[in-house]
Amino acid sequence: MGGFFSSIFSSLFGTREMRILILGLDGAGKTTILYRLQVGEVVTTIPTIGFNVETVTYKNLKFQVWDLGGQTSIRPYWRCYYSNTDAVIYVVDSCDRDRIGISKSELVAMLEEEELRKAILVVFANKQDMEQAMTPSEMANSLGLPALKDRKWQIFKTSATKGTGLDEAMEWLVETLKSRQ
Amino acid sequence: MFAKLKKKIAEETAIAQKPGGATRIPRSVSKESVASVGVDSGDDFASDGSSSREDLSSQLLRRNEQIRKLEARLSDYAEQVRNLQKIKEKLEIALEKHQDSSMRKFQEQNETFQANRAKMAEGLALALARKDQEWSEKVDQLEKEKRFLTAQLQEMKNQSLNLFQKRDELDELEGFQQQELSKVKHMLLKKEESLGKMEQELEARTRELSHTQEELMISSQMSSDLSQKLEELQRHYSTLEEQRDHVTASKTGAENKITALERKEQELQAFIQRLSIDLQKVTAEAQEKEKLITHLQEKVASLEKRLEQNLSGEEHVQELLKEKTVAEQNLEDTRQQLLATRNIQATTIDILETRVKELEQTLQASEEKLKHSSEVVASQEAQIQALSSANEESRCAQQQAITVQQQCKERVHAVEAQIAALEKAQAADKTATKHKMRELEQENTALKESRNECERSLQHHQLELKKLKEEWNQREIVSVAMAQALEEVRKQREELQQQAANLTAVIDEKEQGLQEKTEMVFQKEQEILQLKKGHECALLQMHQLQSELEALRSLRAEEPGAAAAPEDLQRLPDQEQEPVTLKAMKAPVFQLSAAEGTPNGEVGTMDLGQLQKEKQDLEQQLIEKNKIIKQMQQRMLELKKTLQKELKIRPDELFEVREKPGPEMSNLAPSVTNNADLTDAREINFEYLKHVVLKFMSCRESEAFHLIKAVSVLLNFSQEEENMLKETLEYKVGFPGLLFQSPNSILSSPSPGKGDWPLEAGQQPELRCQLRSCFW
Repeated sequence: MGGFFSSIFSSLFGTREMRILILGLDGAGKTTILYRLQVGEVVTTIPTIGFNVETVTYKNLKFQVWDLGGQTSIRPYWRCYYSNTDAVIYVVDSCDRDRIGISKSELVAMLEEEELRKAILVVFANKQDMEQAMTPSEMANSLGLPALKDRKWQIFKTSATKGTGLDEAMEWLVETLKSRQ
Repeated sequence: MFAKLKKKIAEETAIAQKPGGATRIPRSVSKESVASVGVDSGDDFASDGSSSREDLSSQLLRRNEQIRKLEARLSDYAEQVRNLQKIKEKLEIALEKHQDSSMRKFQEQNETFQANRAKMAEGLALALARKDQEWSEKVDQLEKEKRFLTAQLQEMKNQSLNLFQKRDELDELEGFQQQELSKVKHMLLKKEESLGKMEQELEARTRELSHTQEELMISSQMSSDLSQKLEELQRHYSTLEEQRDHVTASKTGAENKITALERKEQELQAFIQRLSIDLQKVTAEAQEKEKLITHLQEKVASLEKRLEQNLSGEEHVQELLKEKTVAEQNLEDTRQQLLATRNIQATTIDILETRVKELEQTLQASEEKLKHSSEVVASQEAQIQALSSANEESRCAQQQAITVQQQCKERVHAVEAQIAALEKAQAADKTATKHKMRELEQENTALKESRNECERSLQHHQLELKKLKEEWNQREIVSVAMAQALEEVRKQREELQQQAANLTAVIDEKEQGLQEKTEMVFQKEQEILQLKKGHECALLQMHQLQSELEALRSLRAEEPGAAAAPEDLQRLPDQEQEPVTLKAMKAPVFQLSAAEGTPNGEVGTMDLGQLQKEKQDLEQQLIEKNKIIKQMQQRMLELKKTLQKELKIRPDELFEVREKPGPEMSNLAPSVTNNADLTDAREINFEYLKHVVLKFMSCRESEAFHLIKAVSVLLNFSQEEENMLKETLEYKVGFPGLLFQSPNSILSSPSPGKGDWPLEAGQQPELRCQLRSCFW
């Protein structure tokens, strides 16, 4: 019932939890990013069959972050989670040049959804600590981000294991969400 | 293709025309209907004609102009029409003939068909019944087999369980065995260690033994030395004893001598005393004699006086003087004698004294000697005592040595016995351990054998199990195949029934068609009459049409791509449905007849419109049928999927071959999984479902609310069920629509919930309770 009261409280005072989805292909580092954001540590993860949901507090803003499993078989279920989403963190493996096309098509299909019309898009060019990583601009072009209309988006180069870039990205996200409100 | 088509058309026209002349048409069929049709058609013609005339007057004028322009060609067409008429006559004759024959044929066919139908129906019913029976039997058999197989499987499972148990036991036994072995090894090691210790001890003991033996030797040597010494000592002792005896003898001799000397001394002293007594006596005698002398001298003096006095007596005095002189002589003698004795005495005393002195000297000497000898004796005695003590000591030593020796011997014996015992024990241990080891090895081998046997049996059983599984799979496959076959047969039966129904429908249709045809024949007879009348008009129309046709051809020539389309359209119905073609084939005839029947082209165009309508209808029908076919295909797919699910067989294995060629499927296969058809992926990831449901039950309400959609998609909930779930969750949270920006679904779909709560009051809370109990 604590959740009930807190939810009432939060609803009364207008500090509604922001709902954020972390999406991306399998092995992009979504779960690692989620727990990096929540506890600030690198945890060992296993392939997510299903999803993880955690409440992350950043700059007095509460986020309900949903990390959905990205395996091919369960990607169709993403759309079950689209409603009432404030922002989408789309995680892309910067080293996976082979599957960036798939990543793009998934992203495009996702952005076509009506329920995500107002959602802010943050693309994490993850695994930047690797040597053969693509540059963010290269990836933005590969993902067709410049062609996006009516969408607030930004790409950040991140490394979930090193923890670089996450703060900047969250900063931007918080500012954007605040300004949108 | 076209030639065939033309032939067909010709035949059809022939068939259609024949009944016109036929009088054998069953009157019962359609006198009234024909009449009514005729009347109707006439009315139609009239009304349509008037209306069209009014409508198309301007067009007609233009057409008339056109016709005038085309009059030049009319003569040709008239010839052609004549020819056509000839052909028509011929065709009419042929049609009659054909109609007769076709009627007959048709009747025959009808009869045969009905007979066949009855037969077929019976046969089909029988076959179906039989097949049903067979299939039911087969199904029973299969079920029996299945039961048998399940029983076998169960048995096998039990066996396998037993086997597993056995294996476990075996493993356990092995473990025990190994433990025991290790224990035994440990024991052996310990024993060996103890053995080593024992051996070491033994060695130490042997060393000790040798040491003790050496000691023994030394002690025996010592003892021998001691015995030699002893012997020496004894000899010495004996010599000493002899010496002692000698000494004692000499001592006794000396003592004797001493006693003798003492006696002599005593004698001598007694002699001396006697002598002294004698001397005293002598002195006393001498004194007495002196006294006597004196006394005698007095007496002599007295007697001389008396003689003097008494000279009378002179003889007496002379005798008395003589006596006096003799007494004096005596006295002188005694005196001399005394002197002599005194001298002798003195000499003897001197001698004796010298002798005593000598004796005393000798005594002293002998005493000294005695002393010396006694000293010697004492020393010797001391020596003897020392010797004897030494002897005793040596004896003690000897005894000690002996005891030591004995002890040593005893110890040696004990040690030897111990060694022997230890060796025996060792040997016994060794034998025991060997025996044990052998036993254990035997046990081990036995166990290994048993294990091998068990493994073999296990393998055997596994193989059997595999076989049975394979068999089972095969049977399952077979059963599945049979079920499929059964399904197919059922479908076939249904199809057959449908076919039968269709056939009856077709027969009805055909009968109707027959009626229609007879009507048509009548119509056509009339139409032929009309045709003759409106021949010229038709010619005109034909000219017109041909011109239009040419125009169209030119158009087609311009658009060759577009030309293909109508052909396709024509082709499609041909392929798809025979009745359609039949109707389609009739179209030209209609056209022709209509064109010929009407005085001018208006009616023809109307017919054309009708035909086009018909075509459109047919096309619509075709489209509908295609749709139905698609729906049926979809349903079939769904049924297949459900079948898959029920049989829990992977779709790849069974339906791979069937589903692959479908071009629609390949089109449906999505390149993007995100937008993939969720209903298509019915084999939902069970893991995913499990995870989502688990989270749904365990997470907070606000999170659970977002999960409703996922859950309802995964579990294929209907809209009502989803809404109910949402309401329940809202109810639980307490403020519906306050916490969440109310999802569209709730607002958009006027759910049966809120308004109908009182009505569903009996049902809803129950469900809520259930759900709540699920959630908590």
